[in-house]
Amino acid sequence: MSRFIERHPAWALVAILALAFLLYLVLATWPPGLEEVLGRKRVFLTALINGITLGGLYFLVASGFTLIFGLMRNVNLAHGSLYLLGGYLGYEFANLTGGWVLSLVIAFIIIAALGMVLQFTIFRWMEGQDLRQTLVTIAISIVLADLMLWRWGGDFYQVPSPSWLTGPVQLPLVTAVRSSGEAVYLQYPLVRLIIFAGAVVIGVLMWLALNRTKVGMLVRAGVDDRDMLSATGVRVQLVFLGVFAFGAGLAGFAGVVGGTFQSLQPGEDTKILLASLVVVIVGGMGSIPGAALGALIIGLAEQFGSVYMPTYAVVLTFVIMVLVLAWRPQGLLRGS
Amino acid sequence: MAVEASRTSGILPASAPAPTAASSLPRYPALWLLALFLLILPAFGSDFVLIQLFGWTFILGMIALSLMFLGGYGGMVSLVQMTVAGCAGYMVAIFGTSAVAEISLGWPWWLAVVVAIVIATLFGTLSGALSVRTEGIYTIMITLAIASAFFYFTLQNYSIFNGFSGFNAVRVPQVFGIDWRAAVPFYYLTLFWAVIAYLAVVYVSRSPFGLALQGTRDNARRMEALGFNVTAHRIAAYAFASVIAAVAGVLLVWHGGQISPGTAGVGPVVDILIIAVAGGMSRPIGPFIGALIYVLLRTFALDVMEAVGLDGKRFQLLVGVGFLLIVLFSPDGVLGLWQRWHRRFLAPAAPPARGGVR
Amino acid sequence: MPANVAERLSAVGTANALELRGVTRLFGALAALVDITLTVRPGERRAVLGSNGAGKTTLFNCITGDFPASSGTIRFFSEDVTHFPPHERIRRGLRRTYQISALFTGLTVLDNVYLACCGISRGRFSLLRPRRNDALVASAENLIQAVHLAGVRDQLVSELSHGQQRQLEIALALAGAPRFILFDEPAAGLSPTERSELVEILTSLPAHIGYIVIEHDMDVALRVVESVTMMHNGRIFKEGRPEEIESDPEVQELYLGGGHHG
Repeated sequence: MSRFIERHPAWALVAILALAFLLYLVLATWPPGLEEVLGRKRVFLTALINGITLGGLYFLVASGFTLIFGLMRNVNLAHGSLYLLGGYLGYEFANLTGGWVLSLVIAFIIIAALGMVLQFTIFRWMEGQDLRQTLVTIAISIVLADLMLWRWGGDFYQVPSPSWLTGPVQLPLVTAVRSSGEAVYLQYPLVRLIIFAGAVVIGVLMWLALNRTKVGMLVRAGVDDRDMLSATGVRVQLVFLGVFAFGAGLAGFAGVVGGTFQSLQPGEDTKILLASLVVVIVGGMGSIPGAALGALIIGLAEQFGSVYMPTYAVVLTFVIMVLVLAWRPQGLLRGS
Repeated sequence: MAVEASRTSGILPASAPAPTAASSLPRYPALWLLALFLLILPAFGSDFVLIQLFGWTFILGMIALSLMFLGGYGGMVSLVQMTVAGCAGYMVAIFGTSAVAEISLGWPWWLAVVVAIVIATLFGTLSGALSVRTEGIYTIMITLAIASAFFYFTLQNYSIFNGFSGFNAVRVPQVFGIDWRAAVPFYYLTLFWAVIAYLAVVYVSRSPFGLALQGTRDNARRMEALGFNVTAHRIAAYAFASVIAAVAGVLLVWHGGQISPGTAGVGPVVDILIIAVAGGMSRPIGPFIGALIYVLLRTFALDVMEAVGLDGKRFQLLVGVGFLLIVLFSPDGVLGLWQRWHRRFLAPAAPPARGGVR
Repeated sequence: MPANVAERLSAVGTANALELRGVTRLFGALAALVDITLTVRPGERRAVLGSNGAGKTTLFNCITGDFPASSGTIRFFSEDVTHFPPHERIRRGLRRTYQISALFTGLTVLDNVYLACCGISRGRFSLLRPRRNDALVASAENLIQAVHLAGVRDQLVSELSHGQQRQLEIALALAGAPRFILFDEPAAGLSPTERSELVEILTSLPAHIGYIVIEHDMDVALRVVESVTMMHNGRIFKEGRPEEIESDPEVQELYLGGGHHG
């Protein structure tokens, strides 16, 4: 961080000013002039927090995608299908057992196992043939999409959230002050906050695992230089298997999460896959911190886009992607 | 260097059956027979066969051909080709005439077509320029993202693209007193352009530019060391491929008479990749073979599946499994299968078959 | 700058083909080349010998510009090329071959050499096919002849033997009027027959083309050069004629006696 400030003092200043302005927008009571430009503060705050929590969901999906890509050069275009399948499975188990947390765990395990099977029976045999692997993932996504349509049809599903998670909470953020002088606080669904906190915890744990454990170091070294892995005599296949399982499992996990605060239906797989693609392209391919930054940017762009320029909300995210590609083809947080 | 080559293996790298165009020239009697068959087909084929089977095959084949050019010769698997075609189709509807009179400008058909091809080519070239600065496999991600951006934009924009409903009643013009909407003229129109596109790709593949493009596919760093501008060659390849896709897009909108966001949605975008891969990306004839199979499946699979007692709704499953099998067992698609068979039974002395897509 | 050009042209006959002054190349803290000073006359043929890690390939990379030198100057026919990008050096007639063949394996032998000839000419974006009597095609044919590959002219490179690929590598370096060539282990992995063919190819190059060859096989190296530079740990530690080097006791001990190079 301090190196960034040293290298780009002007950009650092802009960033600090922007952050300060954002803090002002969040904390201050808005003067009428501001409300004329940006609309009501409650709308703005809700969009902001929605964007951040949506970013949490995107991070869960995209980090698995980027990890698999970074290590194995496998552009897993079936990642969205794994997400949707995880969501459906979570729905079934939550209805069967009534345990939301349990359904998260089960979805993670089953999808991770599916990922292992795919890596073990298919991708292991085409190592280094990244295009062929990608084509296989396209075929798998088509097959899975149709199988899911067969089993669950075209209806909407929502994973029931547990009672302790339902209902809004009051955030210590003032949205407006009544004429009586009484402050109005922001009400926000607890489940989204919990899920966001969970995403942050998982992100931090992943970062620690990658940076502080021996296996993590190996994976990171493998992302930088894959030949090194085999040169050091590591059981590459085992590392690949583990990473694929973990990345796929995260997608399944995210499916339950997304199924709780959004909904599950055919087509959701493509939507989530595209979101992951854009997140990873913006953040930097193969980089976990990049996925976090990209997820935050895209989540915010989608939410603010849908509030302030509803017609072009989705397009806004792609505009961001194109700008990043033109300016830094390797993504925001990836060296060289 | 060898390490890098194996790592970035885009598509059809090093050891793929080289798309040497010399061997795809119509030297074989089979190709002459095929040409004759296509020429006299209108004499006995029904309108359905002419338009719904062969017309559609030629159009999809051209779009897949533009992908084959980029993938097979340039090592860049672009998913934006269907979108370029869609863009051209939209432009024909917007600048020309359609049922949506409040948007369509009603320009003369030839002007609308030229403008459409120019704009779509620009769009394809720009998309290429955005994606070529990263290495091999990223192309597929970036172009998929661009393709879906276009899809969502057309879906959400009403002032230019007329949103969800798009444009209908986009008619083929009457020129030289011929009604090109009629089955036989339209069949020959699509056949003509498909042949032109095919010959253009075959010819260019042997030109200095085409050879240099194949050089960048095999070893981009060595090409740079030889004094070639690799990025410029790749962008130029996108421009060339975009012209083919754009022409196909004009035919596409005339073929269906309408265009809407779904025309270039994620499904059709991926279908073009499936067509090119299933047909075989090593030769320009591959995409047309793939297109014919696709069109036949699309048209008849439902009936056949139901006739043998399967659920016709599971068509996508069939496509997915079929594609999976091809990628797993014959990476060079139907062309690869045919070559293997040909070598085994007809020319045992020929060198052994090599894998295609890696 | 006509004065500059005139200066360069008048210098061609007399100046050294290659002149390195105090060239050093660092990789982080590691010094791969230390203070290399080396002059090679036009048309001179020289071997650079030394154990693995002596800095030979790094020396090549500095001369071609693939890795720029950390300090020092490099002159090519008296022109300071230290800060030139690789392709600018190629335009001036410097060529190299690679230790691991870097060929276009999906193209035919003729197409490979043709591309190399195109690289240094105009019309690289031409969409028109070359005519039958095209000058570039003709020069490509000549080069294929020169490296004894006429028999496999229309074969795919991926179908060639290792030895043939090494020969093709030389043909690529010969494209477009080279004045000086760097050969990086041209004999690596060749059979005895292929080695003698290689010696024949190298010795029959036109007399005005000088070269430096990195080679572990002393039999090959000493038969195709008139001078030798010995490197050790990134430094030059001996220069001389082949027979002097061969009989030098220090060299014997450090390199020839070592036995396990290659």
